Amino acid sequence: MYAFLTGPMLWLSFAICILGCAWRAYMYVKGLSWQLDRVAYGHNTDLAVKGALKSIFHWLVPFASCSWRAKPVFATAFFLLHIGLVIVPLFLYAHVMIVAERFGVSWPTMPDGLADILTILAVLAGLFILLRRFGLSEVRIITTRQDLGIMAISLAPLVTGFVAAHQHGDGNGWLLAHIITGEIWLIAVPFTKLSHAVLFFCSRAQIGIDFGTKRGGQRGSGIVW
Amino acid sequence: MPEGIYCNKRPITTEEELKALLSDTRGTKYYEEMLSLEVDREKLWATIQKTCKSRTQTWLDICARCGLCADSCFLYLVNDCKPEQVPSYKIQSTLGEIIRRKGDVDNAFMRHAMEVAWSQCTCCNRCAMYCPHGIDMGVMMGYTRGLLYSQGFVPWELKIGAGMHRVYRAQMDVTTEDWVETCEWMAEEQQDDWPGLEIPVDKEDADIMYTCNAREPKHYPEDLAEAAILFHIAGENWTVPSEGWEQTSLSMFAGDWEACKLQVENVYAAIERLKPKRVIGTECGHAHRATVIEGPYWAGRPDGQPPAPYIHYVQWVAEALRTGKLKIDPAKRIKQTVTYQDSCNYIRNWGLAETAREILSYLVEPGYLVEMTPNKEHNYCCGGGGGFNGIGKFRPQRNKALLTKRDQILATGAKLVIAPCHNCWDAIRDLEEEYHIHIDWSFLKPLLLKMVIVPEHLKPKDEDDGDEE
Repeated sequence: MYAFLTGPMLWLSFAICILGCAWRAYMYVKGLSWQLDRVAYGHNTDLAVKGALKSIFHWLVPFASCSWRAKPVFATAFFLLHIGLVIVPLFLYAHVMIVAERFGVSWPTMPDGLADILTILAVLAGLFILLRRFGLSEVRIITTRQDLGIMAISLAPLVTGFVAAHQHGDGNGWLLAHIITGEIWLIAVPFTKLSHAVLFFCSRAQIGIDFGTKRGGQRGSGIVW
Repeated sequence: MPEGIYCNKRPITTEEELKALLSDTRGTKYYEEMLSLEVDREKLWATIQKTCKSRTQTWLDICARCGLCADSCFLYLVNDCKPEQVPSYKIQSTLGEIIRRKGDVDNAFMRHAMEVAWSQCTCCNRCAMYCPHGIDMGVMMGYTRGLLYSQGFVPWELKIGAGMHRVYRAQMDVTTEDWVETCEWMAEEQQDDWPGLEIPVDKEDADIMYTCNAREPKHYPEDLAEAAILFHIAGENWTVPSEGWEQTSLSMFAGDWEACKLQVENVYAAIERLKPKRVIGTECGHAHRATVIEGPYWAGRPDGQPPAPYIHYVQWVAEALRTGKLKIDPAKRIKQTVTYQDSCNYIRNWGLAETAREILSYLVEPGYLVEMTPNKEHNYCCGGGGGFNGIGKFRPQRNKALLTKRDQILATGAKLVIAPCHNCWDAIRDLEEEYHIHIDWSFLKPLLLKMVIVPEHLKPKDEDDGDEE
C-alpha cells in the first residue's frame, strides 16, 4: 500500500497535476480571441508584457494592490494560506529528503520549527476564510459547495502532514492519510477551481494586457492596481 | 404569443418601425408584450458556444467567491450592501446561470437578467481593479446585455436607441441635412462676435476632424459653436464630416453589436474619406469608448486602433493649453471650490486621469481644487453610466444610485463640478434636481470660453463692440 502510494500513485498524481495544468493554460491561450475579447493581442508587445507582469506582481506581493490594502485581514489570511500550501511543502526538510534520496538532487530547506508555525497559521487562515464565508452576507451569498470542498481538500494534507510529523510511535496511519490527501489535492488541481494555480497567472496577465495596451496603458502610468 | 409587435427579437431597421415603437409611450405595450416573449433557447446556447471563449469562461469558473468585489461596487454600497448587489453574484446569477443551464432559461429569468444587466451594473469596470483574479464583471455584463438584446429582452429606450443608430447612424433623428444645416447656422450666428469663424464641412487633409454627440446639434447646438470658437482661437485647421460625425453609440449600451459595427464604420469611413491627421471627439465618455476604445474591434481592426489617431477632447484641451494655443487669463481662473468628475470610460478605461489634472492646473486657482474620494482610476461611476440615465423603467434605481456621487461631491464642499462627459453631466444635473445640493456643473468648453485670452486679430473690428466676458 505504502509502496504503491509513494510510487506509481505519486507519479500519476504529479503527472495529472502538471500535465493537467499545462493543458488548462494551453486551452486558455488557445481560446483567446482578439475580436471577442476586444484586446489587440500580439500588438504593442512591450506594453503588453509590462502590463501583464505589473498585473501579476501587484497581486502576488502582499499588500501591493489597492484591494489587498483595503482588506488587510483577509489579505493576511490569504497569504498565510497560500504560503502554507505552496512554499512550505516545497522547502520542507522531509519532502526535500525524499527527493534527494530518490533523485540525488536537493535544495535549501526551511527549519522544521518555522514550517510548523507556517502550517498552523495556514490551517488557521483557512478556517478563518471558511468562517468568513458564513459570517459575511456578501460572501455567503456567492459561496458554493465547491468552495467548501476545495478548502477541505486543501487543508487536509496540511493537517495530516502536521500530525504525521509530530506523532510518536510507529503507526503510519497519519502518514498514509497525508500521502492520500496530498495526492487528492494534486489530482484536484486541474479539474477544479484549484486550477487557479495556473489560471490566476493567465487571467491576471490577460487583464494586465487589456489595461496595459488598450485601456490606458499607452497613456500616463497605466492602471494603478 | 412568441413575439410581440413592439417587443420582439428583431432589431429596428426602418424609420417606420422606429416611429411605431416611439409612439408606444414609455414602452407600456412593449413591456406588456415582453411578459410573454419566448426565449429561443437553441439560438441562445448556440450564440454562447460561438462567443463565450476561454477568457469569459475562465472568469466565471475560477471566481474564488471571496467577495472582494463587493465593496468595489458603488451600487452594492449605495443599496445598503444588499448581498444581491455583489458583482460576483450579479454575474453568476445571470450569465453564469444561463451557461450552467446551457441556455435553458425561461421568460421570467430573462426579464430578471435584464433588470440586473441594466439597473444593477453600469459597466464601469471598477470591480476589475479589485478582483484578485482580474475578473472584469463590467465586461461580462456587457456580453450578457448582448445575449439579452439578441433575445429581445432590452429596455425600451435602448431598443429605440440602437434602432436610431441603425436608421440614422446617430443616437437621435438627426439627418445629414440637419447636421450640415446646424453647422452652417452656428457658424453664421457667430459672425458678429467671431468674424471669419467657420465650421468647415468635408474639408480633406485637415489637421483635425471633429466628431460629436448627436444631442449637441439636436438639443444644444451652442456646444458645437463653442467647439468651433475654441478651434478658431487656437488657430486649428479643422473640419467636420457631413457623414460620420456622430461618435456615440447607444447600441453599445443596448448590446446590439451589429449596430455598433455599422455606427463606428460610418465614422471610420469619414476618416478614410477626409484623411485628417487626427480626430478629436467631444466631451463624452461613452462616445470615446465606443468609437476609439471598442470600435476598432467591432470594425474588425486587429491592431485595435482607429484609422487615424483619435483623441478625447480633454487631450486636445491639455495640449492646446500646454502649447499656448489657448491662453488662460490668470485673473479669470476659477476661484471657488471645484471638483472634477472622472469619467469611467476615458479615465479608468483610457488612462486620462493626469491629462485632466493638467487642464485643471491651468483653469483653477491653486488651492481651490478639491478631489473626490476616491478619484482618478478609482473614482465611482456618476450613477447614470452604461445607459442607466436613459431608462425610464429603472429611474428609481438610478436615482438611488446618484446618492453615491451626491455624497462624494458634498464631501468635497465644491460648488462647481467639472464634468467633461455627457453621461456624468446628465447624472450630476439630475442629482441636483433630485436632491438640491446647490451645485453647478459644467463641460470644459463654456469654462474655457469664459477664461481664454482672445488674440487681438480675432476680435470684431467694429468700435462699438463690447469685450466678451
